[in-house]
Amino acid sequence: MKFTTEERWKLIDRIARETIEYGGEETTTKSILAELTVKPATGIPFAVAILYGFWSFFGSFAGFFTDGFFVRIFDEYWLPWLQGVFPYEGSWLYYILVGDPEATNSFEAFGMLTSGLFVAIGIVLPAIIAFYFIITLLEDSGYMPRLAVLVDTFLHKIGLHGFAVVPMILSLGCNVPGVESTRTLETKKQRFMMMILLSIFIPCGAQIGVMLSLIPEYTGYIMLYLMVGFFVFGFILNRVIPGKSPEIITDVPPFRAPEPQNVQRKMMTKIKGFFADAIPFVLLGVGLVNVLYLGGVIDWLSDLFAPVFTTWFGVPKETVIPLISGFLRKDLAVAQLSAIDMTGFQLITSVVLISIYFPCIATFSMIVKEGRKSGGVLRVLGGSLLVLGVVVFLWGGLLHLLGMLLGVA
Amino acid sequence: MKILLMGHPNVGKSAVFNRLTGANITESNYPGTTVDYTVGYTIIGGQEYEIIDVPGTFSTEPKDEAEQVALDILADNEDATVISVLDATKVERGLYLSLEIIEEGFPVVIALNMWDDAEKRNIHIDLERLRKVLGVPVVPTVAISGKGISELAGQVPRAERVDLKELKRRIESL
Repeated sequence: MKFTTEERWKLIDRIARETIEYGGEETTTKSILAELTVKPATGIPFAVAILYGFWSFFGSFAGFFTDGFFVRIFDEYWLPWLQGVFPYEGSWLYYILVGDPEATNSFEAFGMLTSGLFVAIGIVLPAIIAFYFIITLLEDSGYMPRLAVLVDTFLHKIGLHGFAVVPMILSLGCNVPGVESTRTLETKKQRFMMMILLSIFIPCGAQIGVMLSLIPEYTGYIMLYLMVGFFVFGFILNRVIPGKSPEIITDVPPFRAPEPQNVQRKMMTKIKGFFADAIPFVLLGVGLVNVLYLGGVIDWLSDLFAPVFTTWFGVPKETVIPLISGFLRKDLAVAQLSAIDMTGFQLITSVVLISIYFPCIATFSMIVKEGRKSGGVLRVLGGSLLVLGVVVFLWGGLLHLLGMLLGVA
Repeated sequence: MKILLMGHPNVGKSAVFNRLTGANITESNYPGTTVDYTVGYTIIGGQEYEIIDVPGTFSTEPKDEAEQVALDILADNEDATVISVLDATKVERGLYLSLEIIEEGFPVVIALNMWDDAEKRNIHIDLERLRKVLGVPVVPTVAISGKGISELAGQVPRAERVDLKELKRRIESL
């Protein structure tokens, strides 16, 4: 025997009436604040303030440790020391591990133990610590669902709903959990759209960290161009892809003070993950590119793709190098741009290309994994690659065109 | 012996899980972080139990991937005891799922979590009456601070299947 839905609710109603008594609720500061953060008139300024505050925190935290601390250690002590004591100068081993013997900063030396370690520990580590701290606070305070409610109307225009903001924010830390969290969206269409949009248009914390360190003056423009792309292609995909985009009804949980212990535990897990997964990939990336360089593969590839790079995208042909390592790590790829001689606008274009041309391998594997549940690997991958190809050519080419119109490219 | 922890998203299920197992897993209070389920172990009264932190679900009719996972886990563990975690400030809503699980024939213990929030909001719940009418143990908990968790664990061996006809009769004669 089982009850019908109606019977069940009737029984529950009865139980509740007889056992639960609701006293009046007092108005507290917390409940007033809770109210203010979801009403658009007050909630949107509040959200802007919060996000701006976090962004400033991110910039100054990462800047403090990177510029004030790691840059000095690496440039003044580690690099000259290593260049001095490492034997076999001029050999391939020296080239791969230490890089350029004449380099005076750790960005440009480009050895595994110089640039590789510097990018991973000196730049990316402070950036992701700051980012994960912010994301954990957003999650644990209960602010995330409020943000979801606020942006709901807006996201409906591109076939998503408010809760799609969760994968978006997570992706700003790292695309991998971003893609993973698309599972919470209801339909295959939404999951597919979100996966592809975020892996193309949302740069991860590590990449943003390198951008802020290398080209702080352009980071804002790049982020803006990517965000606009997110919505433009979201709008198009919503029209093109069949499927439903349902409305969502949700409760907004009350604000809670984040538990310090929980925050600490989450941060530790993520930082441990960074040491285990990210650092080996950065070092491997540097090593691989150096080997390809020594083997002449890079020169060959640059020449092969030169026409596309110089005419369509308007960037130097050497940009092929960061695009290769970008498959391993996007942060590394952006760092490699420092070694290429180019104009400011070309730098912007190259960073945009690095962001959109292909997801990094970790994100790619997560898309494959999640694709199984969102309409089959082949369909998801095929669809993704198609969208990707179109986006790279259109959005990358459009930037070049904009540059020409503005007279800067 | 197995225990399934079930409940709506955001009722503090993962917090209860952490308290019961002391396992090193993390929790968040926005929907959807518990998609992958987590397994831990605990000993209650000398007996070892495997505890599964089942993804949050609203009912036994799945609406998304995570809910499907939850139901698959339920179907795979017919001999388990279920701890049904409810938000003490929204008991009516949570009871729907508890009732469905009871109907499936599982022995159930109900945890009224976030009991402190209910108190703050002046919600009074007659625990004794609730226990009697449902015929299952009902334990108030505050998982985030650990309050009520050992009592909750202690009630697991006492949970029994509920006869539905009797249940209906008891409710109607309230």
